[in-house]
Amino acid sequence: MFQNTKCECGHQNPAGTVLCEACGRSLDEGGAAEELLEMRYDGAARRSQKSHPSVLDRIWNFFSSVKIAVYMIVITLIGASLGTIYPQENTFLTTQDLGDYYRDTYGLSGEIYYALGLSHTFESWWFVSLLVLIGTSLVVCSLDRVLPLYRALNKQQIRKHESFLLRQRAAYRGDIEGDPEAWTDRFEQAARKRRYKVIRKDGALLAEKHRFSRWGPYINHIGLIVFLLAVLARAVPAWQMDQYVTIPEGDTVRIEDTNYFVKNEKFTVEFYGDEELPAELKGTLRAKLYRTDAVLYECRSGCTAASGQPELVEVARHPIEVNSPLEYDGLKLYQFDFDNKAVLREVKPVVIDKATGETYGPFTLKMRDPETTFEVGPYRLELKQNFMEFAIGEDGNPITKSRDPKAPAFIFMVYGPGLDEKGEPYIYFPMQKDKAAFSQDKLNAAIADRLEIKVNGMENVSFVEYTTFLNVRKDLAMPYIWVGLGISMLGLVMGAYWHHRRIWLRVDGSRATIGAHTNKNWYGMRADLAAALKAAGNETDPKSLDNGGNRT
Amino acid sequence: MNWLDLSSSAFIAAFFLYCFGFLFYVMAIAGRKWSHGDPAGHERKWGRIAFIVSALGLAAQLTFFFTRWIGQGHIPVSNMYEFMTFLGMAVMLAFVIIFLIYRKPILGMFALPLVIIIIAYASVFPQESQPLIPALNSYWLKIHVTTAALGEAFLAVGFAAGLLHLLRTVDYASKEKSARRERFWVEVTMFMLIVAVGFIISVFSFRMAGYEAEFRQETADVTQAGEAVSNVETVRYTMPPIVQPFNSELLHADAFLGVDEPLLEAPSWMNGINAGRKLNTVVWSLLTGAILYGLLRLAFRKQLGAVIHPMTTDIDPDDLDEISYRAIAIGFPIFTLGALIFAMIWAQIAWSRFWGWDPKEVWALITWLFYSAYLHLRLSRGWHGKRSSWLTVIGFVIIMFTLIGVNLVIAGLHSYAGV
Repeated sequence: MFQNTKCECGHQNPAGTVLCEACGRSLDEGGAAEELLEMRYDGAARRSQKSHPSVLDRIWNFFSSVKIAVYMIVITLIGASLGTIYPQENTFLTTQDLGDYYRDTYGLSGEIYYALGLSHTFESWWFVSLLVLIGTSLVVCSLDRVLPLYRALNKQQIRKHESFLLRQRAAYRGDIEGDPEAWTDRFEQAARKRRYKVIRKDGALLAEKHRFSRWGPYINHIGLIVFLLAVLARAVPAWQMDQYVTIPEGDTVRIEDTNYFVKNEKFTVEFYGDEELPAELKGTLRAKLYRTDAVLYECRSGCTAASGQPELVEVARHPIEVNSPLEYDGLKLYQFDFDNKAVLREVKPVVIDKATGETYGPFTLKMRDPETTFEVGPYRLELKQNFMEFAIGEDGNPITKSRDPKAPAFIFMVYGPGLDEKGEPYIYFPMQKDKAAFSQDKLNAAIADRLEIKVNGMENVSFVEYTTFLNVRKDLAMPYIWVGLGISMLGLVMGAYWHHRRIWLRVDGSRATIGAHTNKNWYGMRADLAAALKAAGNETDPKSLDNGGNRT
Repeated sequence: MNWLDLSSSAFIAAFFLYCFGFLFYVMAIAGRKWSHGDPAGHERKWGRIAFIVSALGLAAQLTFFFTRWIGQGHIPVSNMYEFMTFLGMAVMLAFVIIFLIYRKPILGMFALPLVIIIIAYASVFPQESQPLIPALNSYWLKIHVTTAALGEAFLAVGFAAGLLHLLRTVDYASKEKSARRERFWVEVTMFMLIVAVGFIISVFSFRMAGYEAEFRQETADVTQAGEAVSNVETVRYTMPPIVQPFNSELLHADAFLGVDEPLLEAPSWMNGINAGRKLNTVVWSLLTGAILYGLLRLAFRKQLGAVIHPMTTDIDPDDLDEISYRAIAIGFPIFTLGALIFAMIWAQIAWSRFWGWDPKEVWALITWLFYSAYLHLRLSRGWHGKRSSWLTVIGFVIIMFTLIGVNLVIAGLHSYAGV
């Protein structure tokens, strides 16, 4: 389509221009003379408006369309709402048999939900793609508009065509009594009083304020782009850590893949007393506080389990509470959960020589990180294997079901009087229930007649009352996330709470023609214009300045 | 008299002041015809009285808020009752700010009922002050919840002005199909507001009558370890059971209109612990709402929109459109800050991740996306007037779902207790 872009005033405009860059006359021949002007981007051509678009231009045009952007926003919105119908997969700790879970819990609709992949909506390819498309659209839309708008606002003509002025949404035409120069002076003073910047040239005047608010939306978009890039950057493995550590009270545990160790010095849980609770909650347990008094150590040498005693240096100490993580050098430890099931910490068993009835010991056997050799009287015990939750696997060999000492078992090689010189194996279950369940004596068979390892009395057993679960996080992209959001917020405030207002005035003889434009709050715009007119000598009702029709 | 008692009294005072404020606004707008030839003077006078009374209501509610804060030692926004009353107060605050800019009394006729409904809805929930659980014990509770609610309040005022704009511009004389469709949807919107009133009325009527019914419900569940277990629980109804819980047996029910057993059973997929009771509440709300609506229709003998439409003709529709847009333009950044940015900061501190696709988070994002679509459609695609007003109505539905629906229908980290 051929479009004449040369204005009557002689200025050659780029294709797609709506209002002449020089005089402001409408280039759209078809528009009715009384219709309001389209003032978006000040009538400048957007980058995407070319007369002969190439393939690249077409892609650019696709992403530069606000219509497309709105479609993408609406599709994302609908997709996201689908993701909230049933709980997402990541809310479950296990990933096994989730299909069955959805079917059993929610019936047929749950089965369909799972089959469609809606149970992981927010990690699905289409949802992530939508976010990437929106990000692209943000970049392209902004570039497409901000540069032409910048040029248009930077080289504004003061004297505008009359049709430009009268086709603004707020317009005025009236006769001046007395000296036009003095009238314009009074108009200017009133505008300056309302903090307009005023430029005058050849009997024409431009009063403008808060132009910076026009950049608000673009600054907001830049912030969102930084935010989205930072979110993508979180996929870099080295920038991210997310793991959980389980620490029984009093223990020190290594944070995997780091040189840090963390100690749970004391775990505290407090509940509200009845006197602090309202009537309906009396008698219920309402948590008041969860706290892990934690110490963070950095390991200097001997850090792996094989290399013996690690050399630890304390680097941070903090009472970790739900809203108060421990922070050290980009590493953050959060209170995640706790367990108050008593867990076996250590036992102090004795060795009994069944032949003589003599008792030796006791020796200290820790459930976690036990020592590997024990000298007990004439005996020497070498720890060959230990199991935290003992079970017999499908192939008949012993396995451990978990890493928590729920059913601990220890296999020692025992050397000493009356035993084979090469040593004899002995399996030991510290807990009485396991001893019976797995028939310790039968397993030990031959040696069980000559030797027994057992605990004498509960005073030789110690439990950990509380185990804390901490979430260990490292997220190096976070500063960029906050910066992006900060920029975005700044742009929003600039764009929403200030309004770009312009008043164009031209005086022809004793007749003043005025047009005014703003991107929002026409109320204020008309009030400003009416105040300036009143000061100049032409009192007008603000409402009468309204040209009606569409607004931008 | 301790702080909490003082607080409760202030709340009741605020509620009645709002009700009177609303009546005076109606007087200011609808009473113009009885003004003996000076409608503008009448509106100015009664509009001022209405504003003063409403502002006194706001002062009373601020008293309620701060005395409760002092009385319980933490900011009262930590359960559904406290949050909803705060939201009502925020809507009132947003209305006062928008009113002071534009000075249109008719706005009060729409904003005040909204505030009254929200506050009455709040009173449905348990009102005892509860001590904070560790997760809420952070100064971010104050910052996040208050800014989010204030942002939502401005968006709600945008809805009030948008609905008013629709009532003003929809053609109540035309027989054209498009005009009839518009009238229908305005009527649907009015009906939904009346259902909200119906909900409140049914809850309080049966509560005052002390109604009670009990069921024993058996539910199937799967434990974390993958074992199927069945739980037997007692479900207590405070409204006569039209719908009983799925797979349940009646223990006892007070008779209501001579009926003392349920009429229907909830469908099997509604097998959550309180799903049956919630469904029953919804049925009662719709029923009461429908009766109320029917009575109003009988009294006026025309659509409710057609009743209000003539009162709006004195105001310029463009001004209403502008007020609605302005309220949303003011609210959007506040909402972004409170419901997304502050939420992310707090989530990072409390839950170790700034975003976790929790239903409440997702719905806050949906609200934000919706209003950003609204702004783009308006600024770049020229959606003004009616189209823009319809969007404010949809937006308000989304906000209400985010605030209430998510908590009642979808469980998540933000769940407060439900009725």
